[in-house]
Amino acid sequence: MKRFTPWSTRLLLLLLALSLQGCLGSGGNNNQVGNTITTNSNGNKVSVAQNLFKGKIYFTIDHNLWVTDGSGAARELIHGSNIYDPAISPDGKWIAFIARFKDFANLDYISAGGGPVHILLSGNGHFYNDSGFIKNTYYWFAQPAWSADGTHLLFLSDIEKEDWYAATGINAPLLDLQVFSIPFNNPTAKPQDVAYASFGDGGDRDPSYRPGHPNEVVYTHYAYDTATRTQQVIQLFLEDANAIANHPGVYHPGLPGYDPGVAITDGKDQNLQPAFSPDGNAIAYVRRESSSQMGLYMMKVPEGVTANPNNPTVEQQALAPYHKSSHILSGQFISQPTWSPDGKQIAYVSYNNEFDLWLANINYNAKTGVWSMRGIPVPLTSGGVDGDSRPFWTP
Amino acid sequence: MKPQFVKINALHLKPSRLKRGIPRLLPVTEVDTMEQRAVNGTTGSASQPGMGGPPPFGQPPGNGMQGPKRNKRRVPIWVRVVISIFLLLLIVVGGLVGYYYSVFSTPVSHIVGQQVTRLKGDEDPNVSRNGADILSGSRINILLLGSDTDQKFSSGSYLAQTDIVITIDPATKKVGMLSIPRDFYINVPGNGMHKLDEAYSLGGVALSRLTIYQDFGIPINYYAWVGLDGFIKVIDAVGGVNVDVLHPITDDNYPDDVGNKTGDIYAYKRLYIPPGPQHLSGPDALEYVRSRHADLVGDFGRSARQQQVLGALKTKLNNSDIISKLPDIAHDLDGYVKTDMQLTDVLKLANFARGLDPNSIQRVILGPPYSSSGNTLSDESVVFPYCAKIIPVIAQMFDLGNNARCNIQANSDNGSLASAAQPSPAPAATDNTWQAASQVAGTSVMSMGGSGDNLYGFRSLLDLMFMVVFESPNAMQI
Repeated sequence: MKRFTPWSTRLLLLLLALSLQGCLGSGGNNNQVGNTITTNSNGNKVSVAQNLFKGKIYFTIDHNLWVTDGSGAARELIHGSNIYDPAISPDGKWIAFIARFKDFANLDYISAGGGPVHILLSGNGHFYNDSGFIKNTYYWFAQPAWSADGTHLLFLSDIEKEDWYAATGINAPLLDLQVFSIPFNNPTAKPQDVAYASFGDGGDRDPSYRPGHPNEVVYTHYAYDTATRTQQVIQLFLEDANAIANHPGVYHPGLPGYDPGVAITDGKDQNLQPAFSPDGNAIAYVRRESSSQMGLYMMKVPEGVTANPNNPTVEQQALAPYHKSSHILSGQFISQPTWSPDGKQIAYVSYNNEFDLWLANINYNAKTGVWSMRGIPVPLTSGGVDGDSRPFWTP
Repeated sequence: MKPQFVKINALHLKPSRLKRGIPRLLPVTEVDTMEQRAVNGTTGSASQPGMGGPPPFGQPPGNGMQGPKRNKRRVPIWVRVVISIFLLLLIVVGGLVGYYYSVFSTPVSHIVGQQVTRLKGDEDPNVSRNGADILSGSRINILLLGSDTDQKFSSGSYLAQTDIVITIDPATKKVGMLSIPRDFYINVPGNGMHKLDEAYSLGGVALSRLTIYQDFGIPINYYAWVGLDGFIKVIDAVGGVNVDVLHPITDDNYPDDVGNKTGDIYAYKRLYIPPGPQHLSGPDALEYVRSRHADLVGDFGRSARQQQVLGALKTKLNNSDIISKLPDIAHDLDGYVKTDMQLTDVLKLANFARGLDPNSIQRVILGPPYSSSGNTLSDESVVFPYCAKIIPVIAQMFDLGNNARCNIQANSDNGSLASAAQPSPAPAATDNTWQAASQVAGTSVMSMGGSGDNLYGFRSLLDLMFMVVFESPNAMQI
């Protein structure tokens, strides 16, 4: 009787099964990096790696607020409030954040230890008919950022959207969000204008105070080119936070050139999402390199350029550090960089079929003024976190 | 012969033998029969070698009737394994194909060929085409209707927010697209003055079609209707899309017409979509691509956003992972897309659109200067057409000559109030390039027909949906 070799059949069937598994895309997600903390709305198990960093990182999953430490453990602080952009006060006592609703947003805060949610600014309102124009009294708030002494909060809003009508007589609300500040202990005070928006491209984003320089702020400014008004120009601006307040009547919202901001990146590139280093001397930022490729870069902060922002010589001086930027890494949809408190690591969002937090170790060569990445980036989360909410890193 | 039966019985009684492999596959009935014989102690029968019957199962080569010659012709084991795997694959693939055709055939049959009886006064332009192919013969006009939410196809309380007429001249391959504001205040035949979108709620496709014909003189060959909720469901079925939002999107007057439970069908909602890479759910994606007020550059910016979402969506649709989700997507389309075109027509149209130069499409939106916003005597907010400016444009775009008309008053069903005789210079149509299309539909696609092209046609129906939702033939190209 002929002897059979069933192992070959088994091997072929195994290969067939594996190939079918590959074809059908089954087999599950094997990219889990650590402890599973929850299952997100896509049905993915979200996990957090351990022993990769020191301190605490606040972030959102399905716009629920989470915090994780280096142990790999994570805790959900607020659930079900559609939360964006958590920001921890310098003394570590408070968490300011944005709660979004259908037509408006609130600027809220809670104690870092938990407890009830307090509304700092409410954007709730209603629609009304203004001589045939349907308008409303709703407002957006976005991206709170604390001053170094914890007394003030920067934020984005459209609270002055009807001021354009009042000033010009043109019944077209300025919907583009601008940068304001309020004292944390007196939120009913009139918000101070910090940075104006140009009409039509969505306004400003990513504001923050410069550490060690309490009067300087950085933000992303979205505008159209002044020549054709058709091409987007997305630049980082540095600005004296009190310039508008200290020079009433000099600056105006809506049009480029009538604000005290000075561009610190070249308009021919699209740069966004600046993040100051803990010492305030460097900025990590994101550059759009193609439709899906984005790069993480670092540059020094230009000094002494906010006092006279509309001087052409100063404008050139403000761009000098940009041209010496260090390229750290590139990838699909890299975004939302944030520094570690010791300035040696960067956390950022990257994309590989889902948005996750990654960590990169950073070196700075003081002699050459060049930043570089040490080793390769490692994933901090897997399973998917929110890509449209900036994380926050505290000691 | 008994040892042979003992061997068979041992094979079935000792699982350990199974682990080492089964020497030969047996029909169950044959095994059962032999086992029965063994149990009964039957050792001789007409089937035994030497007794005129076939050799018993398992008999070694050289025994009985199976001589050495037959042994030489035995198929090698690797050939049998390959054939087995091939047959297995054939069965699996055949089963999958059969399953998917069964999954798609029902929704496809619910989507295409949905004829709607024409109302009195609505002349059927297809009669004069004598059954010509959709992309041959005389000019064809396709009415695109987009409605807000679930189960909108029956006429009743629902509106058509999107009213667009696509015109294709098969001879020159020129394409035009006329967008008529939903709030256009016009005569709805038999119903008096209404907004255009109300024509659909008053009489469905039939009355919308008649209104376009009677009020503007544009004969409608075909229609395509899409429920916007269907687009949302398709996006959600693929798990949403991930895009890099180009700039902050702000819109204080976005139509709150999807999932609106307030009963106010003219309600607005506010949008603020932050810039940067992010995940968009179905509703988010629809808002991102539909907002008209978020760009200083108007429809150019909107088009760029639409291409982003379409690119991300079609990347997902082209991924092999999507196979498991196709039944869900087919289910999502069922009830949300309707057309009186046949599947082959949609295939040809989609293929034609893929070869179309986007810059060659003449686009006219009947906003200012062709109309202006205002209030009726009953204080209803509407859009008033300027017939003197509209007529020359549609006369040229649809090659209507003196048949172009503009009936904007009640009881003017015969089209006598305003006509091409109105003196006014024709304003320049936007993007009036009128260049020839770059290629004609491929014959390989055209030759497909019957149920066999359901899978491919299904994809074209998705493209049809995108064209209506994005209000542009460009949506079929990405």
